Amino acid sequence: MKRSSTLIATLDPGVMMEKDSGEANIFLPRALTVLKGLSYNLLGFTALIGLWYLISLITDGELPTPVATFTVMWELLKDPFYDYGPNDKGIGLQLGNSLVRVFYGFILGALVAIPVGILMGANSFCRKMLYPVVQLLKPVSPLAWFPIGLVAFQSASSATVFIIFITSLWPTLINTSFGVASLPDDHKNVAKAFGFSKWKYLTKVLLPFSLPHIITGLRLSIGVAWLVIVAGEMLSGGLGIGFFVWDSWNALSLEKVISAILIIGAVGLLLDRVFSWMEKKVTYSI
Amino acid sequence: MSAPYLKIENLEIAFDTPKGKFVAVKDINLDIEKGQIVSIIGHSGCGKSTILNAISGMVFPTKGTVVLNGRNIKGPGPDRGIVFQNYSLLPWLTVFENIFQAVDAAIHDRSKAEKLALVEDHLKMVNLWDHREKYPKQISGGMKQRTAIARAFAINPEVLLLDEPFGALDALTKGSLHIELLKMWNLTGRTKTIVMVTHDIEEAVFLSDRIVVMNNGPAATIREIEEVHLPRPRNKKDIVNQEDYKIIRERLLNLLMDKVEIDAKDFFKEQAA
Repeated sequence: MKRSSTLIATLDPGVMMEKDSGEANIFLPRALTVLKGLSYNLLGFTALIGLWYLISLITDGELPTPVATFTVMWELLKDPFYDYGPNDKGIGLQLGNSLVRVFYGFILGALVAIPVGILMGANSFCRKMLYPVVQLLKPVSPLAWFPIGLVAFQSASSATVFIIFITSLWPTLINTSFGVASLPDDHKNVAKAFGFSKWKYLTKVLLPFSLPHIITGLRLSIGVAWLVIVAGEMLSGGLGIGFFVWDSWNALSLEKVISAILIIGAVGLLLDRVFSWMEKKVTYSI
Repeated sequence: MSAPYLKIENLEIAFDTPKGKFVAVKDINLDIEKGQIVSIIGHSGCGKSTILNAISGMVFPTKGTVVLNGRNIKGPGPDRGIVFQNYSLLPWLTVFENIFQAVDAAIHDRSKAEKLALVEDHLKMVNLWDHREKYPKQISGGMKQRTAIARAFAINPEVLLLDEPFGALDALTKGSLHIELLKMWNLTGRTKTIVMVTHDIEEAVFLSDRIVVMNNGPAATIREIEEVHLPRPRNKKDIVNQEDYKIIRERLLNLLMDKVEIDAKDFFKEQAA
């Protein structure tokens, strides 16, 4: 409490200076705002690391200490792209491999989900026909599809892409169809009154209106896909961050496991940020 | 004079609702001549907009016909420009793009450069050229409606249909938009037929050649048609002092307000409460 109040106190003169001396000091208050935000983050992570340290003390080293973990993490991050043969590759390569799989599955999923979602949103016949199917398949854990993927593609790597595809499908599909279905009559009437062609209707009315919904769907999809890839790769093996976690566990290196957890979290956060930025880009306000 | 330009004959429009058939308007007979400005006035829910939608082709009559220039109306078309009640601009397009996309869709026999010029002309007519790059959310209600009017004129329609176009605007903006509308009508040689739905008596008298007064719905009919013979160009300030204006205004008030007088006993009941 005391901390934040002093921050506000230091912020105020900054705001005053902006008013007084105009543009010259415009960066100072902004920097202070950023600094304030960062200090909250710092507080949160300090608490997390403190708790972690406490648990590792209590469990007498069963859980590696933060210091030990960060040392191992530094080793991992120092040379992320080394390649000492098929079973010993840097964390960057593992991550890259997972990301490539996620993107393949995600892009394929979007390519199917967006058109089908538009169809479901725009056409009540399609909606009534497909909605029960979607309802049935959506709650199934993507991992349950893994054997189907194996049978269909005869390769563990392709099967992983397949489960990512299945995962990515639903949020995008549902959001797209919802977005398209909620297009107001006003906008439809404009298209009708001025005789918009099908193409113009699609590109100037339907898609711009539903784009924010579609991007939200994609954002949810990539989030779930990133969740699923780790589990998928534990099943499939090969090169990837999920397999890396499993391999580290087998090698009894919890330091590596925790490092991977933190890295996975950071990448997930980054992916989310990218889509959230895109969401803001395409959102129009009324 | 030969057959009327726009002829509405025995029009009935009904909608299927969960509670059964709902007749919005019936027995509507109306002849409108080319270049006339006609207002349809009545209380909320009397089916004014429904008649307009039948002319625009957005709804289809359950009985009767709407004939424009000798042809039965079968759907929306670029020969009729519509100004919607709530502006209906596409929020993701700029003012310029909103008009251009409509022009591009409605007009087929012009080059792109000609269409762009058309948009420019009409934006200048409504004094929005400087605001062409703005989005609808960045401009005022009056400017939005000017954009919508420019859009409707830009496709060069034979008939302009305005659905309570100034209903959401304040009195001052409304007044200047009336002038704006008449200016557009004059600039196009008073050849455009304008059908407007409104619930504003002063607005109807100021703009119209004829005023169609509706009964209350459901199953609304035409109660009376008033001819307005005030000379044009009309001036907002002077017109209110003309005897004809006062008479028409009075008549319309009586036609529309007979049901909303306060009864003496209701009034005292309210005071006692």
